[in-house]
Amino acid sequence: MKALAFHAEKCIGCKLCHLACSAQNEGEFNPRLARLKITSIHNRDGLLVRGQTCDLCLACVEACPEDAIIEKNGRLSFLPDLCTDCGICVETCPPQVIIDKPKGVGVCVQCQSCANWCPTAALTFEEVNK
Amino acid sequence: MAYMDKILRVNLTTGNSTTEPLNKEWAREYLGGKGLSIKYLYEELKPGVDPLSADNKLVLMTGPITGTLVPNSGKLAIAAKSPATGTILDCSIGGHFAPELKFAGYDAVIIEGKADKPVYLYIEDDKIELRSAAALWGKGAHETEHLLYDELGDVITLAIGQAGENLLSMACISSELYRQAGRGGIGAVMGSKNLKAISVRGSGGIKIPDIRKFSAAMNKIKREDTMTDDNMWAYTDGTPMIVDLSQSTGILPTRNFQEGTFDGYKAINSDAVKRVLKAKKACFACPLACSNYVKMGKTEVEGPEYETLALCGSNCGIGDMEAVIEFNRLCDDHCLDTISAGNTVAFAMEMTEKGIHDFGIRFGDVEKYLTMPTLISTRKGVGADLALGVKKMAEKFGGGDFAMEVKGLEIPGYEPRGSWAMGLAYGTADRGACHMRAWPAAVEAFGDIDPFTSEGKAELVIGMQDSNSVKFSAIWCDFWAISTERMAEILTLLLGREFTAAELTIIGERTYNLAHLFNEREGFDRKDDYLPARFHNEKLTTGFTSGKSLPKEEYEKMLSDYYQLRGWDENGKVTAEKKRALNL
Repeated sequence: MKALAFHAEKCIGCKLCHLACSAQNEGEFNPRLARLKITSIHNRDGLLVRGQTCDLCLACVEACPEDAIIEKNGRLSFLPDLCTDCGICVETCPPQVIIDKPKGVGVCVQCQSCANWCPTAALTFEEVNK
Repeated sequence: MAYMDKILRVNLTTGNSTTEPLNKEWAREYLGGKGLSIKYLYEELKPGVDPLSADNKLVLMTGPITGTLVPNSGKLAIAAKSPATGTILDCSIGGHFAPELKFAGYDAVIIEGKADKPVYLYIEDDKIELRSAAALWGKGAHETEHLLYDELGDVITLAIGQAGENLLSMACISSELYRQAGRGGIGAVMGSKNLKAISVRGSGGIKIPDIRKFSAAMNKIKREDTMTDDNMWAYTDGTPMIVDLSQSTGILPTRNFQEGTFDGYKAINSDAVKRVLKAKKACFACPLACSNYVKMGKTEVEGPEYETLALCGSNCGIGDMEAVIEFNRLCDDHCLDTISAGNTVAFAMEMTEKGIHDFGIRFGDVEKYLTMPTLISTRKGVGADLALGVKKMAEKFGGGDFAMEVKGLEIPGYEPRGSWAMGLAYGTADRGACHMRAWPAAVEAFGDIDPFTSEGKAELVIGMQDSNSVKFSAIWCDFWAISTERMAEILTLLLGREFTAAELTIIGERTYNLAHLFNEREGFDRKDDYLPARFHNEKLTTGFTSGKSLPKEEYEKMLSDYYQLRGWDENGKVTAEKKRALNL
């Protein structure tokens, strides 16, 4: 199965991925609504680069008590009519990339907008071991 | 929309904060960033105001492209009346503060008054708080940022170090440890207000019509016009690549501008930086990532940039990369502008070597050199004298002929005897000697235009000043060589009204003229637009520029040409006709 992958050594911390994701999936430029989290900051130990992306582990699909998140052809789908806003998927997601919204959630649909925008190929869409 | 239509105004004297609509008429005439911040200051500051008094104001201004997917749009303008020069002062700082401010819902913050005790300003969307900075005062900018991150979480911070607290005319404002609003003492304006830091977190977003179509258009432009051979030097090398160019063309400031070449340049050039490079870093929305994160021995920094390598390296006779990196880190932590600090140390070195005044430091003395940033920023020992900056040191101790400053701002890393238009650019920059208003070295010393003639240089400098004025108002980073036509195309798509290159050029010209009118009001005229005598009276003796000077009469000719083409009078004053034409 193919999914997003992050290569920290190539990341420049520009956040274009966050903007591309939020524009594509939420209709606004808002890094906090991106369905991935890329961090590139200087802390006391030096430069810290960390990436959290959906690797299609499907923990959310298993966790959702209402089957509101399903996997089909290597992509997640969110079914808003079934969601009861219990928040279990948000808490469960190992990379913590499900966006909690006032109504429902936002899951990564592997649209690859982030990877298409990434200027250094730090984000790629590639075969993951599943 | 691309503008948030909201300005936050914080009065430190009263502790009150209010919001008001962005002045839309001014936004049409000045866009944002440089232009709009100068407009607010021009209208709101009383002439003759003391830059370090409660009456000065600090303006943080974003632009319409800030916070969007437009490439290289991550910059913030920070403006005030300059403590170093008494002119208008607008600085540009990268990192992630500007977009975060917009996500919090503001185009700008205007800070007025003076707190009675050290405070920091915390902005989280609609929540605005002035909090005690008692635990932060006296600390470097780096520890300040770490402590605020510990306390507040994932905020973006602007902070000052000891140099700002101690009101140095070379104090900068820092963000994300290694980004600076560097020049003209902007950090001292914060310090004078007892404002240690500003931290922001924004949870909102920017909505524009047809956002997917806009994003697709920007991605195409990013691939075809930003990430091209013209700009990718920023990624492959960054500004250190200029060291070799300056060396080969004889314009590398060396030993306080006594020479234009440096024997030890290979120790401080791009190859030397690459040997200690650990990662490339970018500002928000920048695909070019000019910044080099380096580690060497026990020290690390994002940098050193060309200006630091030149002014703190060759200009101090320091051909030692580890020393320059450590000096750079110390300056960043204490918030000293490396251009001004490097010049100041170099001036002290020459004064000492010439026997005019003994500052106890000579060219190439690495050990003493590394003590300077701390001594200067805390005004301790010999640092108390160096903290004056070059102009005031020369007034106190002599050496005026080789005090390398214009209007009180120390000179950047391009020797004008090998790039005559750079001399005119320094003389006519709106904030004293600055290479960001116009950088003609790129086409003279490093290009095809004869550097040793005054012909055509006024037109060259004016074109760059106006183009950069609109670029820094939108706000784009300098390092994307974007055409005015491309700026117009992007602003048209973003703002939904037709912009033309001609209209943008007028916005740039209007901005530059308004900055000049601000300075005129403060008493500046032709007499202030001159260079240090060294450039006219001393010939360089090595390399490509051996035997070259910039004769005074040639400089006078460029300056007169410049005023004439600008539509200013012979004394450098904006004419009534020009004011009318630009709606000033």
